[in-house]
Amino acid sequence: MLEVRDLHVFYGGIHALRGVSLKVEPGEIVTIIGANGAGKSTLLNAISAVVKRRSGTITLDGQPVASVPHAVVKQGICQVPEGRLVFANLTVRDNLMMGAYLRSDRAAIASDLEKVYTLFPRLKERINQLAGTLSGGEQQMLTIGRGLMSAPRIMLMDEPSLGLAPILVETIYEVIAEIRRRGTTILLVEQNAYKALAVADRAYVLEQGCITREGVAADLLHDEYIRQAYLGVKREKAGAGGRCGVE
Amino acid sequence: MVQFFQQLINGVSIGSVYSLMAVGYSLVYSIMNFSNFAHGGVIMVGSYIGFYLLTSAKVPFPAALLGAAAGAGVLAIIVERIAYSPLRHRSAPFLYFIISAMGASMFIENFVVATIGPTFKTYPAVFSRWPIEIGPFYIGRIDVLIFVSAAMCLLGLVYFIDRTKLGKAVQATSFNHRAASLMGVNTGFVITLVFAIGGLLAGIAGVLFGMKYTVYPQMGAITIKSFIAAVFGGLGSLPGAVIGSLLLGIIETLVSGYFSSQYRDLISFTLLIAVLIFRPIGLMGKVTEEKA
Repeated sequence: MLEVRDLHVFYGGIHALRGVSLKVEPGEIVTIIGANGAGKSTLLNAISAVVKRRSGTITLDGQPVASVPHAVVKQGICQVPEGRLVFANLTVRDNLMMGAYLRSDRAAIASDLEKVYTLFPRLKERINQLAGTLSGGEQQMLTIGRGLMSAPRIMLMDEPSLGLAPILVETIYEVIAEIRRRGTTILLVEQNAYKALAVADRAYVLEQGCITREGVAADLLHDEYIRQAYLGVKREKAGAGGRCGVE
Repeated sequence: MVQFFQQLINGVSIGSVYSLMAVGYSLVYSIMNFSNFAHGGVIMVGSYIGFYLLTSAKVPFPAALLGAAAGAGVLAIIVERIAYSPLRHRSAPFLYFIISAMGASMFIENFVVATIGPTFKTYPAVFSRWPIEIGPFYIGRIDVLIFVSAAMCLLGLVYFIDRTKLGKAVQATSFNHRAASLMGVNTGFVITLVFAIGGLLAGIAGVLFGMKYTVYPQMGAITIKSFIAAVFGGLGSLPGAVIGSLLLGIIETLVSGYFSSQYRDLISFTLLIAVLIFRPIGLMGKVTEEKA
């Protein structure tokens, strides 16, 4: 469905992504795990065309993905940005409606709004509140709900668990599983490797701008190297890390 | 008492013109986060367009008003394209925008001096100069026109910003460009639109101001007043810009009426400094800090 091939991105003088290739099939949850600064957000932003790519191709069902952000959304690729980027100056309802900005099918929008409310009953209680007054967890629910309002074919989620209390992380991950069950494909970027690998079908490991490992998520959960580097499991014998540039 | 209310009426009239200028100024500030000093030049050009449409082209007044608004709107878009858009695409620092704005402002002013000339021009009498008498009060017809047109423009703007999808997109973009673009908003278009709206209002303000006073190349300097008003009300806040403008207009006329018009600007600037010291966000400044 979504295919990224040999993607290179530079930030100023920094070579942030060095030939990243990945694939997401319809109905999958694919996760990209990696440390802070590995290039995970940059990858999502390059797909969303918020940052310019130096080279490489990004396609959706074989068609090239646009190079301006609003056109990418139109193609059915929606990013739920990191850090709960809600419109603090707008109400909860207006935030959700901003998600449906490019749609004009009123009946479908209204029914999607109801679906978001069933997913997040908390948001329904606060529809007329300014989004800036919501708690961190509620803001994260709002950014996800807002993303769903664009009726995306594929949703790019950037660190949805960042800075949330464990119980809220639990809720958010249940929602992620539910969104996939309802038919939306998900590309999930996470530092919380354990949660991400538990929900995902397949996973890629991103290290210093390169994909160093990939595989079935359940397998990576039991991989020695992954367990030590990303799941905090201590072992005597160090496993071998992946090498950049060699896939 | 009669004199007080008479001054109040005058104050509301001039305050209405300030508010048309301040709203455009504030709108651009809210979305671009810099003070668009070229706004005064746009007001001045709008005033000249209205003047020539009335005197040379001899079109009816409403057509001249609309023509001036359209011309000023187009000029505002051109200024954005030439002076700001290249900086925006390079993510240039804030200071560059201000310098570019000052350059654009000087260019427009001197362009008019060089082509049209530095002399003052007086609008033809569109309305009878005789004021309307209501009881003991006298209200100039031009003041009624100013108040009504300003109120209509501002109500239209509020409706657009608060009630339409595109208006919400303007608000979303003013909060965060990247988040808005991730929702499918064409932020480049929204910025152009905001400059166009600011320009339209500037054109109307220019005509009204020109009719009440005169037209001259340096009249753009009047925007310093709308800048004070916008800061006074809270930069970036539209209701703040309107309230700040009306208050400034009223304070100015009261000072001129009861003390001396020489103290007028002294008081306005003192007020600006006081606001900046004691309440830098203004009366209704944007406090949209996230809770986080």
